[in-house]
Amino acid sequence: MEVLLVVLAAVLAAVVVRSATAQHHLHHRIDQLVRRVAATGPGPGTGGSEGSIAELERATEEVTAQLEAARSTADRMAAALAAIPQGVVLCDERGHEVFRNQAAAAYASGRHAEALVEQAIRELTSAATEGRPHSRTLELYGPPRRVLLVSAFPLHEGDHAMGALVVVDDVSERRRLEAMRRDFVANISHELKTPVGAMGLLAETIASEDDFAVTRRLAQRMTGEALRVGRVIDDLLDLSRIEAEEAPRREPVGVGTVVQEAVDRVRPLSSARHIVIDTDQVRGGHWVRADQRQLVSAVANLLENACKYSDKGSTVEVRSRADATSVEISVHDHGIGIPGRDLERVFERFYRVDRARSRETGGTGLGLAIVRHVATNHQGEVSVTSREGEGSVFRLRLPNGAGSADDEAPVPRGAGHPVATGG
Amino acid sequence: MAVEIRKGFHQALDDVGHDIMRLAGMVTEALGKATEALLGGNLRVAEEIIANDDVLDALTLDIEERCYQLLTLQQPMARDLREVVTALRLVAEIERSGDLVANIMKAARRMYGTEFDPRLRGLIERLGEQVHRLFCMAIDAYAERDDSLAAAIDDMDDVIDDLHVQYIQAIFETHGQGATALQSSVQLAMVGRFYERIGDHAVNIGERVVYMVTGWLPEHVGAARHAVRSVEDLGPDLGADGRPPPGGG
Repeated sequence: MEVLLVVLAAVLAAVVVRSATAQHHLHHRIDQLVRRVAATGPGPGTGGSEGSIAELERATEEVTAQLEAARSTADRMAAALAAIPQGVVLCDERGHEVFRNQAAAAYASGRHAEALVEQAIRELTSAATEGRPHSRTLELYGPPRRVLLVSAFPLHEGDHAMGALVVVDDVSERRRLEAMRRDFVANISHELKTPVGAMGLLAETIASEDDFAVTRRLAQRMTGEALRVGRVIDDLLDLSRIEAEEAPRREPVGVGTVVQEAVDRVRPLSSARHIVIDTDQVRGGHWVRADQRQLVSAVANLLENACKYSDKGSTVEVRSRADATSVEISVHDHGIGIPGRDLERVFERFYRVDRARSRETGGTGLGLAIVRHVATNHQGEVSVTSREGEGSVFRLRLPNGAGSADDEAPVPRGAGHPVATGG
Repeated sequence: MAVEIRKGFHQALDDVGHDIMRLAGMVTEALGKATEALLGGNLRVAEEIIANDDVLDALTLDIEERCYQLLTLQQPMARDLREVVTALRLVAEIERSGDLVANIMKAARRMYGTEFDPRLRGLIERLGEQVHRLFCMAIDAYAERDDSLAAAIDDMDDVIDDLHVQYIQAIFETHGQGATALQSSVQLAMVGRFYERIGDHAVNIGERVVYMVTGWLPEHVGAARHAVRSVEDLGPDLGADGRPPPGGG
């Protein structure tokens, strides 16, 4: 991409320089001709003068046509650069700006974070006009939060310096994907290797242990670790099954049924932690077109998380609301909440907010990844808002199966703070 | 010739304005990152922000110097004069806010490795967001020369003051429950104070913007009251109509 930009910008710069030279050339020729006309004398009817004037006219036309062509090429180049999402700034050899495309124009009189981008552009421009290519990464808090890569390249035509090109590229998405891939490999090896390693050690100890009571205790722990690996593998298989199912069976499913089934599934956990799951605000009249089994597993995953990360004896609420096109099932807890910096990553596979805690709670790290896949499979989305110490709200939005909105005014949304969407 | 000089003056004033936006941009960016670094225990960012305070100081001095030059060489009048004087005041407010952000990071460094109660974390996040929003608003008001936006900042600061009170209360409670150690409690209380002070600086910026646009300051009300009182002290026959002198609010 950057190579393409450099080429484009170099062509544009060359065109600008050429049209300037052509203009210079025209002036020169006119000067010459005028001098010749003057030399032949002002007398009327002198053939030499008329000839010179005709030549002058021809030359003017010729150079005007050249200029016109150069200008339209320059216009086309500028239009091409304007269409590019990257910010492009072009300077002449003295560092004066000669061109700035639309994407970069926003930085020129920018405030807050934009003012810092402009500063970087200026600093890199002056370095590049002195022949030093340079780039700088700006991690901006925003909002919006983004990572920008500002790169400056000197431009040459042969040995002749023609100025500098600065490209501002938004690399946030690229960075996010890189981090996701890197962490995924680290996390999956952690999730699978830890219990397997523990099992190996336990087995070794058992082999050299004579005391029956100790052997039994170690064997029990081995069973625990085996179950743990088993759960991770089950979830991974679930996930790939959901991913592989391109067209899941779709039938009208009552939201009430789904929620009830999910509540039943997490009952062992909720009653152990004395957590009340309040489903009073789930409306029986809401239907979605979905694969019931997948949907129950998604809602159960949300409920399981809500129970795990709430204090004993607290309440978890499930609500549903509908508009003409979609139905939203939301799970509200009053637990520890999720730190802002983790919010956009909690739907990634094996992503852990707090690794130490996750071992206690015994999750596989795949629950929310499953929820997101179910949502995407159903042309829906899942989003989260959270505040540490106050609780989280997960919203699962799916296409409306009945096509009718709530009769009454919609149920007001919970006291959430919009922060991130994963979907 | 006079026109040329004026043109130079306005160019220089614009440059000062742009550099104030840069200065403010550095502070708002640092402020947003600081809250995250504090909650995430990110020492790298903390060190970066503390080190960057020197850059802020250098730019502050540079802008100040140029303002003095403008004042002495161009002797601006009326609104031009208010613009330069406001720039001088604003630079000081912004620079001080930058110092406070660095102070938050120094506290974060001292508290490195300490676990906080989720409730305190949530309140810090809220405080950070509100202060960041308020500060950005104050700078927006300056950039747009919008005195009504600037005047609204004072009311918004009440939200921060309320949050600060809640936050201090939560520190007491979690400390009482043994969830927060005494040392961290003191550090956390100071951090809250730093945030609250940055909010106050945003309010000051707002007031200065109102002054720049309208020539009026909230202090004028107090000054008018003082003038009335001094007149009353002198005797009943002076200022007997009981009206504040013109120019009062």
